[in-house]
Amino acid sequence: MNPTLVTTLWRQRLTSPVRVAILAALTGMPLLGVAFMPAAGLGLLGGAQGLILTLGAGMIGQDLSSGVLQLLFARPVRRPEYVVSRWLGVGLAATAVSLLQLGIACALLAGRGAVPTAQEIVMFGGGRLLESFGGAAVLALFSSLIGGFGDLGIYLLVNLGAGIVQMAGQVKQWLWLSRAGAEINAALTPTIDLMRLVTATPMPWFPIVSYASTVVLCLALAIVVINRKEFSYASG
Amino acid sequence: MSGIQVEGLSKTYRRGLTGERVRALVDVSLTIAPGEAFGIIGPNGAGKTTFLGCLLGLLRPDAGRITIDGHAPDDLAIRAVTGYLPERLVLDRWMTGHDFLAYHHALARLSAARRRDEVADALDRVGLGGEAGQRAIRRYSRGMLQRLGLAQAMLGRPRYLFLDEPASGVDPAGVVLFRRLLSELARKDVTVILNSHQLDQVERVCDRVAFVKAGRVEAIETVAAGATHARVLRVRAADQAIGARVTREQLAALAVSAGAELAGLDPPEARFTVADDAGAARLLQTLIGAGVPVAEATPEESRLERLFLDAPGDARTKGSA
Repeated sequence: MNPTLVTTLWRQRLTSPVRVAILAALTGMPLLGVAFMPAAGLGLLGGAQGLILTLGAGMIGQDLSSGVLQLLFARPVRRPEYVVSRWLGVGLAATAVSLLQLGIACALLAGRGAVPTAQEIVMFGGGRLLESFGGAAVLALFSSLIGGFGDLGIYLLVNLGAGIVQMAGQVKQWLWLSRAGAEINAALTPTIDLMRLVTATPMPWFPIVSYASTVVLCLALAIVVINRKEFSYASG
Repeated sequence: MSGIQVEGLSKTYRRGLTGERVRALVDVSLTIAPGEAFGIIGPNGAGKTTFLGCLLGLLRPDAGRITIDGHAPDDLAIRAVTGYLPERLVLDRWMTGHDFLAYHHALARLSAARRRDEVADALDRVGLGGEAGQRAIRRYSRGMLQRLGLAQAMLGRPRYLFLDEPASGVDPAGVVLFRRLLSELARKDVTVILNSHQLDQVERVCDRVAFVKAGRVEAIETVAAGATHARVLRVRAADQAIGARVTREQLAALAVSAGAELAGLDPPEARFTVADDAGAARLLQTLIGAGVPVAEATPEESRLERLFLDAPGDARTKGSA
């Protein structure tokens, strides 16, 4: 990991007013629900998908299309180091925003006398952390394939395609097709059901292996793609 | 082995949907000594930027070998001592000039303790000190961008400096500044590889110049400062004096007495070969002293200009590689 690349990514993300506004809306809207809906709990905060997409869109593609990478890679920076730093930057940022949101939600709930249990807080925070780093890895792969914000397009297309496949499976009552659609969708934001992980006996290893392999595979592919690229306008 | 060694370097691109092969470099071999200022000139599309890309490890050659101080060009140890200014300079526009240099200072793994001072010094050297350095890059003019690009390339006093059209878009004051900085670097044992269409700049800064055409090195000329090169001075006299009042024999004798040589006579002009600037001054002094009413004296194009002008336009080779 290269701390300079990570912190620069954060600064780059935060200099975009549009991105900051979307981030504020995604963080603040669920908190309004927690604040004003009497029955609301942490579940109302939902997943981290929106945060990951907001913070991660164009994480590599923006640099690819802007042309700054030829200067960057003329420096003593390895290409895998760049990819991993971008992934970590997005994962850490999404986790930080999630934890901030969680903290505010807990404070709001505490104000109403409905403090979540420590287990609920840990499970929610841990889930968001896994989701952030998992989703960031998938987005890193998409972003290495296409310039600009094309990764967002790929993500939405795959999401839409998976939904259609899932729906077709349900309509036709083909369980395998429905399952395939669900798996594709789940692969877009890999995570682990922590509650099930800690309560089930014996502990299920499949979700852990599945999560880890998806993240590693996405990062490895992104590194391969970036390693194969030539960074000079002469090659364009 | 120190310096840059290039052996049998070839590079082909595939273009368009048909995958047409375009040969950008063909069997290029040359050696650049440590501390040498080496120029690359040639027509558009000759393969100069591709050559620089290969030297920097940003492009993968199809064949051949490049070593810099005995290492591959993408070796991190080499990159740590390399500065690069690309022709199509794209900077992180959201940063300020100061932030951008600090960012590259960190990427270059230079001392964090000296960062503030070295960044301020680098900005000052290219004339972007004070408020200009605190301005967002998106508000920079083309010339300011180029100055900032040069400042980042020179960060940490690199041993190898690769410059692709460094003075492109820079105002005359900037061109003079760039030339001065490059000359300083060349004197400080920095190996400078300069790709430029500004032949006067190349001639003033570089020790040797490679002329690249159609992906091949056609010639390597020595233009080192201090080396004596014959120049041709074209002299025109008023009142049709040359050829009428002053004969060929008289002009030849005057030239010899000034240490020059009469290269040709085409009234009302005469062409003289002189050793250098001092020789040209001596010749003019002698001619005027002998009563030749010199109205105009202009140097003919330099050897580099002649080399350039003799070459056909777009010269990139197409065909199977």
